Amino acid sequence: MANVLVVDDEDAVCEALKRRLQREGYSVTTASSAEEACNIIRSRPEGFDIVVTDMSMEQPDSGLEVLSAAMRRDLFTEVIVLTAYGNVANAVESMRRGAFDYLEKNVPGVDTYEVLVMKVAQAMERRRDAIQTVRRLEQQAGRMPT
Amino acid sequence: MPPLPFSPKPSHSQRYNAAVVKDESQSEVGCPIEVFLKELNQLFTDALHPGEDLSFLQRLLDFAMEAVGGDRAFLALVEERTGELVVVCTAGLGWTPETARLRLSLAQESARGITGHVALTATPYRTGDVSQDPYYVAYFRDVRSEIAVPIRGASGQATGVINVESAVQDRFTELHVHRLVALAHAAASALRIRGFRARESALIEIGNNLITSLDIESLMAKVLNVAAEMLRFEDCTVFLLDEVSERLVLAASRGILASRLGEAPYRLGEGITGWVAQHGVGVRLERPQLDPRWRGLCVEFPQEEISALLAVPIMGRDRVLGVMRVVRRTSPHAWFSNAFSEGEERILTSIGRQVGAAIENIRSRERLLRAERMAAWGELSARAAHMIGNRTFALKGDLNEMQYLLEQKPCEEIRDEIRELAASMARGIGRLEEILREFRDFVVATSITLASCDINEVVSDVVAETFPKRSGIALTLDLQPDLPALRCDAMKLKRAFAEIVENAVSFQPHGGSLLVRSRLVPKDEQLRHNLSQARDYVQVEFRDTGPGVATNEKERIFQPFHTTRAKGMGLGLSIVKGIVEAHNGCVREVGTPGEGAWFTVFLPLADSDSTS
Repeated sequence: MANVLVVDDEDAVCEALKRRLQREGYSVTTASSAEEACNIIRSRPEGFDIVVTDMSMEQPDSGLEVLSAAMRRDLFTEVIVLTAYGNVANAVESMRRGAFDYLEKNVPGVDTYEVLVMKVAQAMERRRDAIQTVRRLEQQAGRMPT
Repeated sequence: MPPLPFSPKPSHSQRYNAAVVKDESQSEVGCPIEVFLKELNQLFTDALHPGEDLSFLQRLLDFAMEAVGGDRAFLALVEERTGELVVVCTAGLGWTPETARLRLSLAQESARGITGHVALTATPYRTGDVSQDPYYVAYFRDVRSEIAVPIRGASGQATGVINVESAVQDRFTELHVHRLVALAHAAASALRIRGFRARESALIEIGNNLITSLDIESLMAKVLNVAAEMLRFEDCTVFLLDEVSERLVLAASRGILASRLGEAPYRLGEGITGWVAQHGVGVRLERPQLDPRWRGLCVEFPQEEISALLAVPIMGRDRVLGVMRVVRRTSPHAWFSNAFSEGEERILTSIGRQVGAAIENIRSRERLLRAERMAAWGELSARAAHMIGNRTFALKGDLNEMQYLLEQKPCEEIRDEIRELAASMARGIGRLEEILREFRDFVVATSITLASCDINEVVSDVVAETFPKRSGIALTLDLQPDLPALRCDAMKLKRAFAEIVENAVSFQPHGGSLLVRSRLVPKDEQLRHNLSQARDYVQVEFRDTGPGVATNEKERIFQPFHTTRAKGMGLGLSIVKGIVEAHNGCVREVGTPGEGAWFTVFLPLADSDSTS
């Protein structure tokens, strides 16, 4: 079962995301600030498979903090950044730093929750691919004469 | 030569008694020439510092009587308002309290007398036998000879008369007239200097008075009072230039036009008033109706009754802000010129400049307040969008879940879950509404409508409405009775005070106390609180025993988006600040960190002259 960390300073948002992702079969942990999220990421024995984080929390770019903490813990953790009318500059910056994707919370006519569930599934696929690729490379490296 | 029983300074007058020539022969009547010249010189020197009372004129009159050897004398001044000659100083025998305050109407030919004749012609007059004189009107039975000389003002018109009489026929010669004319010059100098001094100090006082005005409305009320003090006029009207529409808006008037305030009768350049606004130059006219620029669009009384008009620009630093206009009615005293003088134009111009400075002062303070809030606007919009977006997103999640449940399971099974979701959505909507309320309150905090109200009533209402009925917080109200009425927006002040009370309650969840106090700030404390000395302040304090505010937070708590509570957008205290500052007051937090918060609000009382 894949592990997902949901980070948002709005408790109601955390709850809604948790409920929706649990329905898809994910194991969901929530944090209500970037600081709390970073602490959880660092203190867990294993990295999260997926981190879904809001961009603007304590700071307008708090999401970047969560992103870098997650990737330091596990390079293959896939991070999806959520923005609520947040500025695009921060979203682009998060992509540049290796986020899987970013998602606007409020797009008229779009069920963002459905889109998010899809993105999380895609991200899981990429993470599995990446990990498999690394394993293959490691195996090949192991077979290679030293 | 009789003694001088009515002289206010007998010792001074007696100085000359020894020198007075007792000889009754005409040519040697009066003091010796060297005594005359010495005292004349002294009088001219002293005329530079005439003082505010009549002592200088009295001294001059005492000497005038001696200088020409008369036995009764008086000095009368023209009163422009009534068109009368008013006796202000007397010397010699026979004066009663009534005659010493005589007023001669210049309009009535039969009662004018020699003095009135001199006032109108502004030329000296001498008669050796009043019984044969066509102008003479008897006030004293024993008079035979008389000299009257005018005291001339800047324009050459008589502003007063010096009159010396004698019981002896043909007492005075032309030489005596010359002596009195010289003394009248000294009197004229003293009067003019006294006038300048009075105007100067009045203008300084006006400047100080105007610059402390907090809003255009109270400024205008002061302007009219000031102009009335400085100039004689039938009506004074102030127009302010609206730069967008390029029209002159009626801003203040003493007379009938006061009922038309807010109207914009003149376009820039239209009529004499519009011309003054366009060119930034004053206009001084007699019979202004004859001027080609005259339009008569907005006049104080029927056109034909206006005899003189004076209009000056209200100048800002680099442009005309408006026009001040004064008018005189055609005088019933036909002899009396109703034209405005150059000096009066200078006075009004000077007032216009000070009013301009005061207006710019008020406007720049308003601009500063607006700019501060505008700066917050950008961030406000971004934050509001973010928060509304976030909450909507959460609501959408709840709604999705509800739809999912309804599709997947039978209603009876999901009743509790649905109920929970509905409660969550209600909370979400409540928070959205909170944001909207803060947003609205922040935006409208500075637009206030003033009305006179009782500040204690406002405070009591707020406490009654906001303070929870049951709480562990001990409330003490200490309201100073009989506080002066305050011009304020009661609704807005309630919103501000309610925010502070709500804070005190929410920061003391386990009980504590709240002291609410109102009082008039004593004058000697104003300096300590950094308040303007020019007005009085009411102080409202809220003191609780919660955690208080850290020293480095004391300023920041009033900034927008500062919050330690999850509720709303953190605009609460910035709204309080906006409302209080819109009242030209200030709010501070002065408590000791750890011992509780202590908010103190200072609100200025209206100027005493505009409260009525």
